[in-house]
Amino acid sequence: MSEAPASAFASPPHARVLLRDASGGVRVVWIEPAIEAVRQQSAFGEISSRAFGMASSFPFLALMLAGFVVPLLCVCAFSLMPPRTFSLAQIPTLANYRIIFEQGYLLSLSKSVALALATVGILLVVCYPLAFALAKVFRSGAALVTYAIASSLFVSENIRLFGWVIGLMKGGVLAGISRQLGLEVESWLYNVPVIIFGMVYVYLPFMLFPLALGLQMVPEQVREAAFDLGASRWQVFRMIDVPLSMPGIVIGSVLVFVLSLGAIAEAKILGGQKVVTIAAEIETAFTFGQNWPLGSALATMLIGITAVLVFALLRKIDFERFLGRRLEAEP
Amino acid sequence: MNSKNGLSRRSFLKTAAVATAAVAAGPFSTLRSFAASREDELNILCWEGYNTENVLGPFRKAFKGVTVKAESGTDDPSMINKLRAGETKIWDLINVNQCWARDMLWPEKLIKPLNRARFEPYIEKMMKWFYSPETGINPFALSPDGKELLGMMQRFGPFSFVINTNKISATTAEDQGFPMFLDPALKGRYGILAYDNWNVMHLCITAGLNPFTQLNADQLAKFEETAEKVFEGAKMISSDLVQLNQALINGEIDLYFTGGTYTSSPARHEGRLEVLGISPKSGPIDGKGALQWFEITSLVNNPNLSPRAEDFLEFVQRPEICKAVAFAEGTYNPVSQMSNPEVFKLFSKEDLVAIQWDTLEEEMARSADYQICPNNDELTDIYNKVKRKRV
Repeated sequence: MSEAPASAFASPPHARVLLRDASGGVRVVWIEPAIEAVRQQSAFGEISSRAFGMASSFPFLALMLAGFVVPLLCVCAFSLMPPRTFSLAQIPTLANYRIIFEQGYLLSLSKSVALALATVGILLVVCYPLAFALAKVFRSGAALVTYAIASSLFVSENIRLFGWVIGLMKGGVLAGISRQLGLEVESWLYNVPVIIFGMVYVYLPFMLFPLALGLQMVPEQVREAAFDLGASRWQVFRMIDVPLSMPGIVIGSVLVFVLSLGAIAEAKILGGQKVVTIAAEIETAFTFGQNWPLGSALATMLIGITAVLVFALLRKIDFERFLGRRLEAEP
Repeated sequence: MNSKNGLSRRSFLKTAAVATAAVAAGPFSTLRSFAASREDELNILCWEGYNTENVLGPFRKAFKGVTVKAESGTDDPSMINKLRAGETKIWDLINVNQCWARDMLWPEKLIKPLNRARFEPYIEKMMKWFYSPETGINPFALSPDGKELLGMMQRFGPFSFVINTNKISATTAEDQGFPMFLDPALKGRYGILAYDNWNVMHLCITAGLNPFTQLNADQLAKFEETAEKVFEGAKMISSDLVQLNQALINGEIDLYFTGGTYTSSPARHEGRLEVLGISPKSGPIDGKGALQWFEITSLVNNPNLSPRAEDFLEFVQRPEICKAVAFAEGTYNPVSQMSNPEVFKLFSKEDLVAIQWDTLEEEMARSADYQICPNNDELTDIYNKVKRKRV
């Protein structure tokens, strides 16, 4: 049986707690009064902190409800209204969804998906080595590279794309340089590859930074151990780097895919609308098409596809571990 | 402790209390002012031009203390969407192309009629396309029954297609008209300006159809076939007129479908006179194969309309403001007030060359009014279907 520590009688009375051990015996434990006070109040404290938490989340919930859920519901509701009408007070119909299937809108969707997949694939290949360098090699230089790449985000996407138009057009900067070198180059614009180039260029930071974050999670000791055990570089890449940096790969890929799926400017400015993207279709339906219900149905379809994909992929990631490990990896 | 910079604890608390009170009272004071007259406020929704400092700056000087907010739209339907979505409470004036005011804004009660007695004297001095003693005011500025004045007319111009005269002669383009875009020799040599509602009308003309009559199934099929050919032969599509002019000048393309003074004038004003708006000599709209537009500025059906709205409409009739509207940022266009010598003398020789003044009368005579097509919905669906199948 435990006894109260000798010093306990010299100080204010200690609380005595009876604990039952695994064999059924009872054990007395003396604890500090302050701890006891907390223990006694814990039930009340738990309730009050929960209420406080609920109250604190109210502004956020209100914002999400007013700014996200309600507009989304409006879009969904409009998608069920008769085509080319402007009121929600009508008999719901699936006519807009039928139009999407009948009038070839799936073609635009499939083109947008193809462009987005190509962008994700290219960016994975392009960004992985750079992310590896940022996470493992550059050390102090990493911050500089990060700022340099992130700074592009401070310039409007349209302005950057028009800059490329000047560079790539017939008689433009690239053609001028080529002519100086004795090569006659026609315009590089208005085709599918230049659209993909534009998307790769614009969305590069959205792939690079999650990848670098993911690669920081890979413990150097594990890699060193693998090398010590005779693994080749390829084996270390395939069996250690890729699996352990998978959260970064998934987040980067999802971000780029979702952004690319909604991309509009690259196909318009660089591609001369060689491809009509699904985002352009939505814009057209809402503006000169004057068909809000069709635009809403297209938007609902796009949101649905994106949501299914994103939730399916992100369910596989333990965010706490992802962020926690990142902190552990910091020196 | 902050005595050096004059901020004591007491003064801080006092300031904070005043600021809090002001913030708390803010919404109520706004409501109060909203309920009261909005004579010190004016909100304009317009095409680019009316919102430049050359127009708004002098207005602010003339009407001291008035806060003017002007937002430019990129197309008529988007601007109308704003009013439909409930922004009639915000805007006082809306500026759209002619057919949208009479055929959409007016029936949907999104605009109010003007005071005819106040504005007709201005209209009676306008160019002949807007007022003639025989036929009166241009019907697009009036309600369908001819009783109400729906807005004031200002910028206008022919709008069909644009060529590079170094590659194609103006005479050839005017003689052949839109069907030249179906010529296999021009495949891959032209661009398309994605002003889609215009393209629907111009594709009808290319197909030999009058877009302003009811089309039958065969005619719709002909439209689709023509649209497919035109899209198939296009090298580029852009909604940016600068990009198309640039492509025309650097030889990327030799002509573009569609355009006119509105799109060619910026390049011409820079001295690139080979960029020329063309109005075909003949076509299927009662013999006409070209189109023209004019902008009309109307009073929004705002429950608390600013009294400054009509003042602004009167203000933009001043000669120097007419010139500022005509030669706004981006594009240069003739204005309906150019029949007034006081207005006309403000245009330099270069300005007149930029807006193709020497051929304006001839081009307007060849052009039909921009209207909403009876088959607009079907034509738009076909147009979009063809566009997305381009690759």
